[in-house]
Amino acid sequence: MTKTYQDFPGVEWVEGSGRHISVAPERCDGCGNCVRVCLAKCFKISSKKAVVDNLDMCMECGACWYVCAPEAILFSWPPGGTGFRTRWG
Amino acid sequence: MGEDYDVVVVGAGFGGPVAAHKCASAGLKTLVLERSITPGDKVVSGLVIPFYGFLFAPPFIRDGNPPLQKPIRKVVNHFVKNGEIYASDKSLWLPPPLALTYSAYCEPMCVWLADRAVEAGAELRTSTAVMDLIMEQDRVKGVVTDKGDEIRAKVVIDAAGTQDGLALKAGLRRKLPPDALELYMLWDFEMAKEDVDSTFGNSVEFYCAMPDEKITAPLGYGSTFYIFTYRESIHPGLGQFLVTEGKIPHVARLLEEYFENFTNTVSRWKNDIAPKLKLRAKMFDVCPIYAGLDRRIREMPIYGEGMLIIGDAAAMESSAFGDGVPNAWFSGAIAGDVAVEAVKAGDASASFLRRYDERVKAHSVISASLSDTRRWDMRWALPGNDEREMRRRAHELFGRGVWRYRHITGQVLREMKTVLSRDPMVAGKWMKMFNRYNRNCESGYSDPPSSYEPAPKAGIYSEGREAVIA
Repeated sequence: MTKTYQDFPGVEWVEGSGRHISVAPERCDGCGNCVRVCLAKCFKISSKKAVVDNLDMCMECGACWYVCAPEAILFSWPPGGTGFRTRWG
Repeated sequence: MGEDYDVVVVGAGFGGPVAAHKCASAGLKTLVLERSITPGDKVVSGLVIPFYGFLFAPPFIRDGNPPLQKPIRKVVNHFVKNGEIYASDKSLWLPPPLALTYSAYCEPMCVWLADRAVEAGAELRTSTAVMDLIMEQDRVKGVVTDKGDEIRAKVVIDAAGTQDGLALKAGLRRKLPPDALELYMLWDFEMAKEDVDSTFGNSVEFYCAMPDEKITAPLGYGSTFYIFTYRESIHPGLGQFLVTEGKIPHVARLLEEYFENFTNTVSRWKNDIAPKLKLRAKMFDVCPIYAGLDRRIREMPIYGEGMLIIGDAAAMESSAFGDGVPNAWFSGAIAGDVAVEAVKAGDASASFLRRYDERVKAHSVISASLSDTRRWDMRWALPGNDEREMRRRAHELFGRGVWRYRHITGQVLREMKTVLSRDPMVAGKWMKMFNRYNRNCESGYSDPPSSYEPAPKAGIYSEGREAVIA
């Protein structure tokens, strides 16, 4: 099953990517950097901590992981054959 | 379980297949693992590949028919104020059949490269993500896939791209610092071939403006607004550093804002370009920027016990022009050679593999492209809003100044001389290449793909936010 979103035409997401990005709440300082760099709106701040809202439109760019100074964000590849794909990159 | 290879290459992007081609051609048992369904369908880039990539990469690229889009012969630098172009620098050009660079889509290019590796005897396994390394006494002995399969290899070549985590797992490299990265957004618009030709000819356009115009990110050329031209489409894009003046701004919002400002104010876009376009795709990604100028990154190793790291995984993005493919090809070829030597010698220790590092550092074009500062230097025009200085700097970078006999251009010319002095017949092969690429770009011809299912033309048909294509 694949999904597409109007925000990002020309890209489709193959189901099964699971939660390949997560936040370790004990390390998160609530700075909001991840929210500010994510074009796919994956994060929100809840009770002064970042949480993964949804990874629907994640393009696996890793921006959230790179800007997370306390290393609270865990980033890994989704399983092979899942996640975003495009032929227009 | 329990598979055994001479070489495992992680990633079938641009560098991986070149390394695999070398290893397989030398008779090594070579496996390429790629996490996407089709090679290249997770590679997002405004892709233009400079001519020197094709000249100095392994000959199978030069002598083949890769799926290129358009030969780019001219760079147009537009200087914009209040939405109007007040000056343009069009001084960098080459006459046909030569080209400065070739535009291409990533997916068909990566498929084409992977096909060549498979033809040479490499095995390719797609939809397979490498999640971990097999480590024994601090030596890399193979990889572990997302399915839990353990695949042993004498040498692992890490071609996993910018967001690579394997070199971190091996303890060789650290996560790139955010101030050496940019987030970029790009669009793909359909445009009739006649319209592309009449509006742009064979040029790409860069739009430079001072920060208060808010149409490009405020650090000059690192983050210019560009329009790359393809056969029947155009590919505009812009990027923003993840860190600006020590802070992490709302990059996501800024990129949307710049694009909106650009499309709403720049009259060339509004009048000459936009009416002929149909949006086809919108994408984003993160890439290293000026990594070669950053000591912290330069000092990270690109090899270790049983492991070689190539291309973007080794942060070989060119500081000169922001391109990554030539260095991925060059480093992939060197890594392939070294892996062959290591397997033959039965020695994949770091002290043996050190020759990879030495050859990469001795490669004049790689090292010059990593250390060229002209693009970085664009920023010195920004304090004081010095427009003359910006135009002068742009002329140095993407104007006739590029031909001055120094740094990257000088190294490319010197390398051409060296190659020709070894084998003068190469000149004929280069000219044939330029001519063949021209014909192919015009007709749309490329070697047919062997066995991959291309990514569906998603998105353009979707109506709702969650339209599901079964």
